[in-house]
Amino acid sequence: MASILRCEHVTVRFGGVVACDDVSLEVEEGRIVGLIGPNGAGKTTLFNVLTRFQDHDQGHVYLHDKLIDGRKPHEMIGLGMARTFQNINLFGEQSTLDNILIGAHRLTGGPIGNLYSLPHARRRESALAKRATEIAAMLGLSDELDNAVKNLPYGYQKRVEIARALAGEPKLILLDEPVAGCNDEETAELREVVRRINKDLGITIVMVEHDMSMVMNVCDYIYVVNFGANLAQGTPAEIRANPAVIKAYLGEEVEA
Amino acid sequence: MVAKNSAGKRSAAILDPKAVARLKERFQKQNVALVVAFFAILLVAPLLPGFKGWMAGQAALVIVYIIAAQGVSILCGYTGLVSVGHGGFLAIGAYTAALLTKHLALDLILSVIAGAITAGFVGMLMGLIFLRLAGPFMAIGTLGFAFFVGAVVNNVKVFEGREGISLPPNRIFGQVIGDTEFYYVAVAFLAGVTIFIFSLVRSSLGRALKSLRDAEKAAQSCGVNRLQYRTLAFTVSATITGAAGALNGLITHYVSAEVYSDIWYSVDILVAAVVGGSAMLMGPIVGGTFVAMLPFVLETLADFSFILKGAVLIAVLMFAPAGVCEVVARPFRAWRRRRLEVAGHGTTPPAPELRVVASKGEP
Repeated sequence: MASILRCEHVTVRFGGVVACDDVSLEVEEGRIVGLIGPNGAGKTTLFNVLTRFQDHDQGHVYLHDKLIDGRKPHEMIGLGMARTFQNINLFGEQSTLDNILIGAHRLTGGPIGNLYSLPHARRRESALAKRATEIAAMLGLSDELDNAVKNLPYGYQKRVEIARALAGEPKLILLDEPVAGCNDEETAELREVVRRINKDLGITIVMVEHDMSMVMNVCDYIYVVNFGANLAQGTPAEIRANPAVIKAYLGEEVEA
Repeated sequence: MVAKNSAGKRSAAILDPKAVARLKERFQKQNVALVVAFFAILLVAPLLPGFKGWMAGQAALVIVYIIAAQGVSILCGYTGLVSVGHGGFLAIGAYTAALLTKHLALDLILSVIAGAITAGFVGMLMGLIFLRLAGPFMAIGTLGFAFFVGAVVNNVKVFEGREGISLPPNRIFGQVIGDTEFYYVAVAFLAGVTIFIFSLVRSSLGRALKSLRDAEKAAQSCGVNRLQYRTLAFTVSATITGAAGALNGLITHYVSAEVYSDIWYSVDILVAAVVGGSAMLMGPIVGGTFVAMLPFVLETLADFSFILKGAVLIAVLMFAPAGVCEVVARPFRAWRRRRLEVAGHGTTPPAPELRVVASKGEP
């Protein structure tokens, strides 16, 4: 299978701290790939490198086999990569619909000639709004379209973030701790959402996650990092059985 | 694809989406009607019996303040950037129009448009510089820009320093016009700018600007090019303020460094934008009127208007940071929301149960 996202020997230093130390990983198209590791292992830094929010000192990142070192974060969605954020990062005052519509920004066709009073801009707006409504329906957000997202419960806000990422019609979504802070019910719902996005829409998913049941149940393949460096990689079963992982991270065997 | 998970439903499903859509359309029409009514008043005002000749000029000055505040509001309201140097763009607009009128006897409307375009062009260049600075540094940068413009008009000979440039009567299509006609020209510009802003904030462009204001990184992840959009906002903002400056110079027939090198213009139009509420269409209209009318209302105490403006600004920032208009609109918005809920559900739904939100998003 073709690799959709690949990084080779990525190193990031913050002063004397090495956040990522010669990390490599490869994500195959159509998969759900987990990225795990203890706190401070450099997962989020690596995530930011992959999405170009963080510059790296050494190594290379490839998206669809194209080098993306030095590209700007806002160019990523145009190349088919969307992301969510660790702490919910929504446009709080704005409605669910508007949040999803911003996700579709790359389909609006540039800043000039988009004034609302122009007929063609209004036609495009209504087409985008229709699509956004469909995405909202898929994620169970239909009744919340007009509500300001800051008033939504936590689990709903997480879903709005995913809906926003979907609106840009990506091939690949990076989820930064999609179920952090969610209760069991919300976690179960989000697990289903992630599965459906992958199966029904054929979107490749990479997720950083601390919730082991989520990672072990959903992911096809897992990368483990520790102290900023690759520690292990493999299927959930292999990771569960890997003594180095158990020692470094899990402490004892994981319950599935 | 239909949602399978109904477990997490918060409220009853909307039973009648068509009624909701109809009601929303009606609210939208009411908003537009409010603005149209405001302009109707402006158009009829000079015909009222108590309206005297000199009032037209003063009324035009109020309109000029409103337009300037609208220019600033695009920046502080919708883009979330603060400029304390927009007086610089006001000056550029005023001097461009004044020089064109004096030396080339250019038509009033063309002079104003030329002033706006010149200010917009300088605004674009300044935007490319200032927008690389973070928050307060950008504000200081814009302040420096206003001082720079002040120094230039004070010292470069063509601007005639504190002596000032006296202007001939204004002409439209070769016809000399009086203050009342000028007032109508100002109202026409105000209408144009208002329609433009209304259209801008409802477009994908306005949405992108607001997204940068609310959560910059998230906006970038959605593909919004930060520098491009902010520079555009800065340019538009400077253009509108430049048009206001041009009108300001032409209505008073006099442009001098005495007036335009003063930082108070920058402060005044910022106060006008903030007090009214810069993220609302009516905000700069109310704020601009307040700031422009204050010296007249205070009459002999006009010197105290600075103190009063400062006090009002502090009070607004403390108690109504989104502006006076937002406070006035709040109960109406709540009432509309209730109406929408009733329309959607057939009855008033019970208050949603309280939930503890584990953590909040970035402000």
